[in-house]
Amino acid sequence: MKIILIAGARPNFMKIAPIIRAINSFNQTNPINPTNSINYSLVHTGQHYDYKMSKVFFEDLELPDPDIYLGTGSGTHAEQTANVMVKFEKVLMAERPDMVMVVGDVNSTLACALAASKIDYGEEGQKKQRSRSKKTDIWHLTSDSCGRRPLIAHVEAGLRSFDRSMPEEINRILTDAISDYLFTPSKDANENLKREGISEDKIFFVGNVMVDSLLFNLEKVKKSSILKRLGLQKELPDNCQLPTENCLSTDNCQRTTDYCLLTLHRPGNIDQKDCFLSIIKALTEIGENIPIIFPVHPRTRKQIETFGLQRYFINSSTQNSKLVTHKCGIHFVDPLGYLDFINLMMHSRFVITDSGGVQEETTVLGIPCFTLRNTTERPVTITEGTNRLINIENLFSEVNAIFNLYNTTNSKPSSYNVKHKIPEFWDGRASERIINILSEYFFI
Amino acid sequence: MKITNIIGARPQFIKYSPISKAIEEFNKLIDSSVPFKLNIPQRIDDILIHTGQHYDYAMSEIFFNELSIKEPNYHLGVGSASHGAQTGTILQKVEEVLLEEKPDVVLVYGDTNSTLGGALAAVKLRIPVVHVEAGLRSFNKHMPEEINRVLTDHSSSILLCPTETAIKNLQIEGFCNVINNGKLIDNSFDISPLTSRISNFISYVSYPLIINVGDVMFDVMLHALKIAEKKSQILEKLNLKKKEYYLLTLHRAENTDNASKLNEIIDFVNNMSVGKRVIFPMHPRTKKVYSNSDRNFSHNIEIIEPLGYFDILAVLKNCELLMTDSGGMQKEAYWLKIPCITLRNETEWVETVESGWNVLYKDYKANYSPKDNGNCYGDGNSADKIINVLVKLISS
Repeated sequence: MKIILIAGARPNFMKIAPIIRAINSFNQTNPINPTNSINYSLVHTGQHYDYKMSKVFFEDLELPDPDIYLGTGSGTHAEQTANVMVKFEKVLMAERPDMVMVVGDVNSTLACALAASKIDYGEEGQKKQRSRSKKTDIWHLTSDSCGRRPLIAHVEAGLRSFDRSMPEEINRILTDAISDYLFTPSKDANENLKREGISEDKIFFVGNVMVDSLLFNLEKVKKSSILKRLGLQKELPDNCQLPTENCLSTDNCQRTTDYCLLTLHRPGNIDQKDCFLSIIKALTEIGENIPIIFPVHPRTRKQIETFGLQRYFINSSTQNSKLVTHKCGIHFVDPLGYLDFINLMMHSRFVITDSGGVQEETTVLGIPCFTLRNTTERPVTITEGTNRLINIENLFSEVNAIFNLYNTTNSKPSSYNVKHKIPEFWDGRASERIINILSEYFFI
Repeated sequence: MKITNIIGARPQFIKYSPISKAIEEFNKLIDSSVPFKLNIPQRIDDILIHTGQHYDYAMSEIFFNELSIKEPNYHLGVGSASHGAQTGTILQKVEEVLLEEKPDVVLVYGDTNSTLGGALAAVKLRIPVVHVEAGLRSFNKHMPEEINRVLTDHSSSILLCPTETAIKNLQIEGFCNVINNGKLIDNSFDISPLTSRISNFISYVSYPLIINVGDVMFDVMLHALKIAEKKSQILEKLNLKKKEYYLLTLHRAENTDNASKLNEIIDFVNNMSVGKRVIFPMHPRTKKVYSNSDRNFSHNIEIIEPLGYFDILAVLKNCELLMTDSGGMQKEAYWLKIPCITLRNETEWVETVESGWNVLYKDYKANYSPKDNGNCYGDGNSADKIINVLVKLISS
C-alpha cells in the first residue's frame, strides 16, 4: 500500500513524525510478507515561511528528508491553496498513491485533500489500483468509481471552534467533508463529525498524534540548553524530572527563573492595531511582575513593525548568552526549534497563547495555559486539562488573580486548579492505532 | 450593496439570468421611488465574473440577448485543465477580483469548479457566500461535482435550496438554521426577525441560513417559454402537431460511451414508440457513437440537428411524451406537465418521479399514469425571493 503523507507548515511536522515512526515499525514487524508493507512518500508543500526553521524542526523531530518538495511559499490564502493544489495534482498523477494522508488544518491540508478528491486515475489506473489491494472489501467505502482516486485520510479530524471567521475552521470542515478515514484526537471530535452527517464507520478515535511526538521526544527535550542560552537558569539540577503537579512549587523549579511563555500569531489578535495594542498593554502589565519570553512568529514581528509597536518589547537573542531575560518585561526571542520550545514550555510558570497545539502540550505537561481566544476547537484541554480561555479585557486581572503576580517570590497558584488529567488516548500511541486500523483495512 | 456573481459554465449563465433580471427590476424600483423617503434600500451593484472555465462557442449572442445576460465585468480566461489545476487557478484569480471589488456578498451557482473556487476564495476573505442550488446530493463522493456541491455548501453563509429534499440533505450534514421550516418562502418573506441572531452578518456568518427559494430554472423556463411562443417557428418547420409526437434526447457519457448501454436504450426507445413519430435532436457526441453502432433506431424516429433552447422548449411543450437522459429536461417536462421517461438508472430529481410525471425506463410499466401533486420546485419566482432575502439581510 502506497501512502503520500503531507507536511505543510510547522504544526504539521510534529504530527507527521510519529506517523512515520509507526509506519516504519509496522514494516519492521512484518518482514515476511513484503506485499503487506506500507510504502510512504513524504511531501513537503513548502507552505512554511522559513526553510531554515523548517529544517530545524525536521532535525529535532528526526523526520526523514521530504521525498518531494513543492516549494509553494507564502501568499494569500487563495494563492497558497491554489499553488499547492496545482503542484500536488501533478505529484498524484505521477505517483498514484492508494492513500493521501493529511494532518491538521493548514491550507496545505485542504489543498492536498481537495486535489486528491478530484483526481481521476482513469479506468486503467483504477484496475491497477484495485489489483494492488489484497482485501476486496476495503472498497466498502464506495462503488464502481472507487479506485479512480486515492483514499483520503485526515489525522486530527473533527476539531471545531464553531467560529467560521477562522480560516483554519474552514480548512477543517472542508477537509473532513471529503475524507474517507477520519482519525480523531478526542471524543468530542467524533460527535462533531457525526453531527455533520459523516458516517460513523469512517470515524476512528485514536488519540492525539502531537502528544506522541511530545512524549517520544521528552528525554531529548530535557537536554535542551535553551534555559541557559536565554539566561533563565540559575543552575541545572541534576535530577530534574518532568514537571509534576507539584513541580511549580518544589525546589527543582525554583532554580529556574520564574517566567511566562507567550506565543501570539492569530490574525484575529494581531491584524487590527487596536486589538493588538490592547493585548500588548495587558501583557506589559503582566510583564511588570514576571518576565515574559516571547518567541516571535515572523507574521507577528511584521505586524509589530507595521504598527510601530517595537517599544513595548525587549529584543533578546538566543545567540547572546548574557541575557537579561530574568528581568521583567516582554522579551523577543527568535523562533525556536521544537525541542527548545517544549523545554521552555515545561519550565515556565504559565503560558499565554493563541495557538492550537500549545493548548494541548500544556495540558499534557501540566502547565497552566491561558488562551487568548473566544473559542477553542480543543475543549478537552479545558474540561480535563490545564487550559482556560480569556479575553483581552480580563487578561491581566485573571492572570493576576490566579498567580498573585505582585507576590511572585514564593507563591503557589492560588485558585488555579492544577489538578488535571490527561485526556483519553493522549498516551503516545495514537499513530500506532492509526497504522493498525489502516493495516486491518488494507491487509489480509 | 455590492453583489459579485461568479459563473463559468453554460448552466451557470442560465441560472444567473433570472437573478440578473430581478436585480435590474429592483434597481428600477429604487430609482423610481420618492427621493429622501426613509428606509429606501440601496441600489444593487452587480459585478459579474466569468471564470472562462468552459467557453462554448455555440452559446450564440441571440441566446444571451434573449435571456438578458449582461456582458461580464471580468473575464478570468481560466480555460480547461485538470480539475485540481482548474479549481486552483479559479480560486487564485477570483481572489484577486474580490480583493479589488470588496463586495458585500458573493453568489455562486450549481456544482462546477467555478462554484467551489469562487466560494473558497470568498469565504477565506470573510465575504459571505450565497450558494444558489444548495443541498443537492448524488451521494457519490467519487464524482467531482459531488465534491464541489458538498464543499461549496460548507463554505456558504446562505444556502438557497431548490427543494425540500435539498433542505433535508443539508440538515443531515448538520446545518440547523432552517428558515420557514424548510417550506418555500413567499416573495416578500420577512427575514429580519432573524437578524438579531446574525447581527454580525456583514462581517461574517458563522451560522449559515438554509432557505427554500425554489428552483431558479423554473424562472428561466417560464421566461424562455414566453420568448419561444413568440419567436419559435420550429413546430411549423417540422410540421409537428400538438400531442401527436414524442421527443427524445440523449447525450450523457454514461449512455453514449458504452456500446451495450446504448443498444439497450435503442431497443427500449424502438419498443416504446412503435407507430409514433419521434423527434430526436441528436447531440454531436451521440452522433459520433451512433454512427459506429451496429444497432439502429427505427424509421419512425426522426434524427435531426441539435435544437436551440427556445426551439426545444416549443417542441417539448407540445409533445405527448418525453424520453431523455438530461437532468434539466426532466424538470422542464414536470413543469409543463409532460409525461417523461428517464433513460438512466437513477435521477437526482426524485420529486418528479414521486409525483408520477417521471419514471425511470427500467421501472416503466405500460399502465403508468401521472398524477399532479403540486409543485416541488417552487413557483417560478425564485429570483425575486433571492433578491428580497439579500436586500433584507444586508441592509438590516
